[in-house]
Amino acid sequence: MPAKKTARKILISIMLAFAATLLTLLCRQFSIGPARPSPAWRTFGPQNAKIQIYEYTDFACPACRAAEGDIKNVMKLYPDSVRVNFKHYPLSTLHPWSFNAAAYADCAGKQGKFREYAGLLFENQEKWARNKNKPKEFQELAKKLNLDVPALEACTEEQDTIRQVQLDVAEGDLRGVNATPTFIINGKRAVGGSQFLERVKNFDNLLKK
Amino acid sequence: MNEKTGVKDLLGIAARFIVGGVFIYAGWLKAVAPAEELAYAIETYKTVPASLTIFIAMVVPWLEIYLGLFLITGVFTAYSALCLGATLLGFEGLLLQAIIRKLPVTSCGCFGASKSGSLSHEFIQNLVLLALTALAWKHGKKLSIDSLIESHD
Repeated sequence: MPAKKTARKILISIMLAFAATLLTLLCRQFSIGPARPSPAWRTFGPQNAKIQIYEYTDFACPACRAAEGDIKNVMKLYPDSVRVNFKHYPLSTLHPWSFNAAAYADCAGKQGKFREYAGLLFENQEKWARNKNKPKEFQELAKKLNLDVPALEACTEEQDTIRQVQLDVAEGDLRGVNATPTFIINGKRAVGGSQFLERVKNFDNLLKK
Repeated sequence: MNEKTGVKDLLGIAARFIVGGVFIYAGWLKAVAPAEELAYAIETYKTVPASLTIFIAMVVPWLEIYLGLFLITGVFTAYSALCLGATLLGFEGLLLQAIIRKLPVTSCGCFGASKSGSLSHEFIQNLVLLALTALAWKHGKKLSIDSLIESHD
């Protein structure tokens, strides 16, 4: 009865495919799988740190600006135990220039000044975030840091730069990020500064393990 | 394992597990990552229109997982091995044209965003997998769901 045998095989194939799909989707849901590291210029702390933080941020978001200080403090408190992977998650529908800001920050990073440029973007957020036209602040901040402005401008137009930001957004979407700032700390999620600080309270326990 | 199982059969089973395992791992790495990542890698091969790459990137990882799983468990073993062989040949074609055209492919997209070797390294690696797939196709029928069903009645 070859037809019966084939039917059995088909049934088993379907069951296997179903189980594999379910398992893989669960892995996606719970962010199980290797995380894509951020480029070197926006990764801070030792590579083998016990606490790995992925921070999804939008430069035009006021809550992200507020949380930036907390992140800096945590880095100071745990210099050898915490690694921060900065990820872009520009909410372009709310903040028209945040995607550009991310690209500028990455290009500043390529010139060795990501942190400084990111700091200035947050500091001056109110000046550029709601502009109707392309903010002149992007260039002005670069000049303040003595960056090579023509190179910076050219870099922001490059396909690679744009893709890097788009990939961060796609990764954030896959991990269920839908608000900024979102932190993923050793696989656990914290949304907003106060949830982040709640998790930080547990850092000493994590380090004892 | 019955006494009729010879060295060739054992090699065939081992080949099934190696090729199937590699495909499941490669597919899984890509399936849990954003499809855009693989789509960008595919774009660098400059063979398919950019508008198609995202579709291909969404389909290929699942195909790799399913075929790898079918080969390991040995369900439709011969067909699974044939499909995987055809997939590998397709990959070889892509790699070869990229090598000949000296395209600046930084990540082959074979194992997601993880670092990949040079294109020629990946090409040779796939040749080995292709040989193992042939072995699985020819001698990989033992210790499989296929053989279990065939011997059931």
